[in-house]
Amino acid sequence: MECVVQGIIETQHVEALEILLQGLCGVHRERLRIHELCLKSCPNLGLVSSEVRLLCDLEQSEPTWTVRQVGGAMRGAGAEQISVLVRNTVESKISKDALRLFYALGYRLDHELLRVGFAFHFQRGAQITVTVSSINKMLKLHSTDEAVPVTPGIQLVEVTAPASSENYSEVVAAVSSFCEYLAPLLHLSKPGISTGVVPTAAAAAASLMSDGGGATL
Amino acid sequence: MAGIEGIAAVGGAGIGSGSGIGGGGGGVSVSEASQQQQQQQGTSRVAVVERLNPAVQQQLNLDSVRTRAISLFKAISRILDDFDAIARTNAVPKWQDILGQFSMVNLELFNIVEDIKKVSKAFVVHPKNVNAENAAILPVMLSSKLLPEMEMEDNSKREQLLLGMQNLPLSLQIDKLKNRIDMIGAACESAEKVIADTRKAYFGTRQGPTLLPTIDKVQAAKIQEQENLLRHAVNHGEGLRIPVEQRQITSSLPVHLVDILGDGAQTFTDSSGMYMKSTPPLASSNTSSQGAMLQASGAPHMGRAAASPSAASSTSFDHTTTSPLPYANSPRSGASMMNTPSPQQQSHQQQQQQQQQQQRQKMMQLPQHQQQLLAQQQFRQSSLPGLGQNQQGQLHDLQGQSQQKFQALHGQHQMQFSQPLGAQQFQGRQLTSGAIQHGLGQSQLNQGSQLNRHLNQFSNPANTALFSAAQNTPTTQMIPNMSAMMPSQPLMPRMQFGMSGGSRTLTSQNLSDQIFSSWNCKHACQL
Repeated sequence: MECVVQGIIETQHVEALEILLQGLCGVHRERLRIHELCLKSCPNLGLVSSEVRLLCDLEQSEPTWTVRQVGGAMRGAGAEQISVLVRNTVESKISKDALRLFYALGYRLDHELLRVGFAFHFQRGAQITVTVSSINKMLKLHSTDEAVPVTPGIQLVEVTAPASSENYSEVVAAVSSFCEYLAPLLHLSKPGISTGVVPTAAAAAASLMSDGGGATL
Repeated sequence: MAGIEGIAAVGGAGIGSGSGIGGGGGGVSVSEASQQQQQQQGTSRVAVVERLNPAVQQQLNLDSVRTRAISLFKAISRILDDFDAIARTNAVPKWQDILGQFSMVNLELFNIVEDIKKVSKAFVVHPKNVNAENAAILPVMLSSKLLPEMEMEDNSKREQLLLGMQNLPLSLQIDKLKNRIDMIGAACESAEKVIADTRKAYFGTRQGPTLLPTIDKVQAAKIQEQENLLRHAVNHGEGLRIPVEQRQITSSLPVHLVDILGDGAQTFTDSSGMYMKSTPPLASSNTSSQGAMLQASGAPHMGRAAASPSAASSTSFDHTTTSPLPYANSPRSGASMMNTPSPQQQSHQQQQQQQQQQQRQKMMQLPQHQQQLLAQQQFRQSSLPGLGQNQQGQLHDLQGQSQQKFQALHGQHQMQFSQPLGAQQFQGRQLTSGAIQHGLGQSQLNQGSQLNRHLNQFSNPANTALFSAAQNTPTTQMIPNMSAMMPSQPLMPRMQFGMSGGSRTLTSQNLSDQIFSSWNCKHACQL
């Protein structure tokens, strides 16, 4: 299981967000460049078509592959009250034969995207990962070198934390409290719920940039 | 030295003249200056009954001045002695050191003079000569008289201040000065007030909630639209799907996909797995054309092809020697390409050794169910590593119907089915597309009793008929071609492997029937 929230931020404020995150997390950022292939099985292979995501981390010298299956989100009255989305996920590292494997199993490429940005991994009540990335699409199949952003002026911010069914409430609390620190710059919400931008983000970014101008990140 | 003008003046002149190194008189003049100082002080003390103001005395610190002057004198005399020694021994002096010492001495002298100057204002004797007439007033002058230049300065300032008022009576002057002072005071106060007000306003508005910037509606709408785009793209993939027609593999795959998908990465479209249309002519067996050839519409097929790219291409016809390719006899290998390659084609195909291409093309040409089966079989068998040599598509068309099927389905295929694909025509005709490599040469069939075993597994009468027909073909035709095409790849191991694979995959009779009902026995043999 994982807890996840998403938000958007204008590209011009990304640097200020980075400064803020650096201060909050206390770790250095890691570059992020992930080629995500979303494979869908054709309907005759099961009751419904299932979806599998293959993530190839291109930032390492040797590309590493991860397979990820995103399940359904928690439902119910309790889930409505939580501001964080809790959903089942299965994630695993996998060899580079993953793509061939899934193709052989009958999965087909549904879409692919390239995430370029940075990420922070830190411990703050839970193991939290914050990624700030621009989502790029490839006009030609698999052409990661020629990817263009889907929305040039806006980048996606994702805060995720793994959880289990026993401790998900603590993880939710940790993620929510962390998200409040980011309130000056962006609003975070469950995936699927749009938030808009923060009107005062410009002022907050300006103050962050002026104070942290000397900091080298 | 003629007249005692003042301690400062004397000191300055004396010491100033003594500041040159290398001048023997310098040291002397310094001593003279210090002596003069002492004399001066002595005379002043003698002449003046009153003591100097103790504060001034302390400030002047005559003792320290004397000490410093004496030390300076000693330093200079030492330096001069060094110079004498160097001159006597005719040695080369170290100018660096000498310059350093000079600068130190210079600095010390400068400091002494400065210190004296600071307090010289307190007691300067204006009359240069002390004699009877000014002896009486000397104490007063000593205490209050300013230096000439200081006096000048004072006068000029006073004039500036009382400009135009000197003629007026004193009270008026006083009033005017007071007014001036008041005006200046008022101006200062108003300036301070303005600064305070501005500061308050500045800080007040910064923290106040009234100045929140708002985003206008148009911009908000744009941002909302972009946000929806982004969120849907990330979560659901909307806007990222490339239509089937546009899914073409670019000439160069990114690094991380090159060795996974290999040459000619497939386009995995949403087709329901129909025949994959290979656009490039089958004759083009260059590796570069693999990608083009693989522009198929059958995603499942492509998937399978990707899964075991080399497996299908294992249909090399190396029945001659031990083949390093264990998958040569994979059941899929000869599935679709049932054409007997012609000699010309054989040589042509020899040049074309792209296993994956051929395999995939073969996949593409298969009917759907056959391809599915093939894919399954391929999947079970590991991918063949180096089937490059075995990719001469010697697919023997053992069944006319299969050929016709292919022809009907793949108009674009330039499979050279020109020759009638009868059982009689096992001439090593090769489909020009690389994918035809899957078929084992008829001669290969002939070479292995295991092949017979394979064939016997399949009850397809057509297969057996074809097989027997193949066996009837003069092997002389085949063997030279075979050897030419596949220099040193034995068939037997592959066949064995294929057999095992076939037995694995074709456990069910239905499966085998299904396969071999439409495929030629060549394919069956390869199992």
